[in-house]
Amino acid sequence: MSTLALLLTQFVNALSQAALLFFLGVGLTLIFGLMRIVNFAHGALYMLGAFVGYSLSSWSGNYWLALAGAPVLVGLFGAAFEFSILRRLYRRDAHAFLMVTFGLALVVGEAVRLIWGSDALQVPAPPLLSGVIFLLDEPFPVYRLFLAATGAVVAVAIWQFLERSRLGLLIRATSQNADMANALGVDIKLIRSCVFGIGCGLAALGGVLAAPLVTASNGMAATVIIDAFVIVIIGGMGSFLGSLIGALLIGFVQVFGNYYAPDFALAFMYLVMLAVLVVRPGGLLGKEA
Amino acid sequence: MRSATRLLIWIVVALALVLAPLGLPPFAMTLLTEAVILGLFAMSLDLMFGYTRLVSFGHAAAYGFGAYACGWMLLHTGMPLLFAVFAAGLLTGFIAIGVGWMCTLATGVSFSMLTLAFAQLLYAISFKWTSVTGGSDGLAGIPRTIGPFGFAALSSKIGFYYLALGCLVGGFLVCSALVRSPFGAVLRGIRENEGKTTALGYNTRLYKIAVVAVSYGLGGLAGALYAPFAGFANTELLFWLLSGQVLIMVIVGGAGTLIGPVLGAAFFMLMEHQLSALTEAWALYFGLIFIAFVLFAPEGIWGLATTRLRRAAPRP
Repeated sequence: MSTLALLLTQFVNALSQAALLFFLGVGLTLIFGLMRIVNFAHGALYMLGAFVGYSLSSWSGNYWLALAGAPVLVGLFGAAFEFSILRRLYRRDAHAFLMVTFGLALVVGEAVRLIWGSDALQVPAPPLLSGVIFLLDEPFPVYRLFLAATGAVVAVAIWQFLERSRLGLLIRATSQNADMANALGVDIKLIRSCVFGIGCGLAALGGVLAAPLVTASNGMAATVIIDAFVIVIIGGMGSFLGSLIGALLIGFVQVFGNYYAPDFALAFMYLVMLAVLVVRPGGLLGKEA
Repeated sequence: MRSATRLLIWIVVALALVLAPLGLPPFAMTLLTEAVILGLFAMSLDLMFGYTRLVSFGHAAAYGFGAYACGWMLLHTGMPLLFAVFAAGLLTGFIAIGVGWMCTLATGVSFSMLTLAFAQLLYAISFKWTSVTGGSDGLAGIPRTIGPFGFAALSSKIGFYYLALGCLVGGFLVCSALVRSPFGAVLRGIRENEGKTTALGYNTRLYKIAVVAVSYGLGGLAGALYAPFAGFANTELLFWLLSGQVLIMVIVGGAGTLIGPVLGAAFFMLMEHQLSALTEAWALYFGLIFIAFVLFAPEGIWGLATTRLRRAAPRP
């Protein structure tokens, strides 16, 4: 394998990894920016997305339906959780959220185990995406290319949504100053439910997309939540662009680290995070220290 | 009148803990010892979280580091148990000065995340530095070496319980003396309003580094007790899940009370044990109980208990 081809395949690999991480990180950062909540259950919802996707695709035989359906269902679940429980806690200390979402993570994790069992479940990629293509004469799975492309499309879509749409404007206004937005007549309770739902839906989207690659398993929540935290912290809590940069950085560190120095790959990620935080305590694009 | 009832409760609790080995079966003693160790761990975090509002999200780093250090000393150097436990605790506290220096560069959520980063870094190292940490297998078969100066009784099951209990009581005395001292007043000042405390002329950063060192040192002591108690140290002890759990213990028990977190740890252990005996899906109920706690008992177990007592006591 030529060096160039190797670099190219690793590059695309890293992009696809970054896409998966981005779905998690962007939801987390949106929720944090708006509500100052560190959503501990984000990994569990990612896992829930993968399992719901499995059920939808095996029930209908159609992966595309699962891809569209799972995020919507999990997003509705997230909005319902915000509506019924989180809403009561906004006047309280930040650690109340930590505990409630930690509880939710436990509940969701266990519910998934009860409903789907503890075995890893294989979600087949659709025929269109299950082949390989040749990059500089090296075979490369189409699915990873698809992931990278989806990541780019979703990133642009969220960016446009936040910048151009009315709801996006209200979300930005509410994260800047919730009281002022409320005084100007914005229904911030509704905005919060929406954003929590959207964030959870994005996590589920990541889960569904990851499922054909890594299978849906009970362990996927615990490992992924820390990756998501790292991304958001590197990028700056609450910054959309920051989560994109963080995801790309960590995606590349993970993929290239695993290839060139597998013994240190895990440590690299945290070293990058430490380095960023020591230089800029608020994260690369974060405002507060 | 009230202080008399309070004293009475203290005496009863102390007697119950000291006499527990006489009445409890060995199995319950194991649970109680673990609860005591976890109680010390949770109490150490309360110093940071409850009194200074420094939310360490990587407190497992202290526990796991203490456990690995103590386990390594017992396995490879033939040091006596007592010495290894305290040396590991001290070492953790000493290294935590550096960690505290780095983490206090940031405040708020960033501080929490820096502590998390350190803990995860240790977790990653424990996986890969196989020659020292045993990799994913961890350190197994950690002995309770008696050493040349006697103390043979400490290596038995009941003796070890008393050792752990002694550490908990000692830790409590140190912590409560600390929070009542002028030093503790500055810590509370940092909790309430750090800017104002700085304006009063205190170098808050130094105070924060000091409290991180003490807190991590005690957490390391708890971990150092755990390694010879369980006979092993593995990567789980450094995983973020433990950091989350100990934070929950502090909050469920009642932050900023020192005693509360100990109760929280005992409650956590008891729930985990009882529920896992009752039902396969214990984590489900566990999670629901936590959510209920936040919604309906925000002041924690200790807060609930003391308000009850206060209501029951006749007004002066």
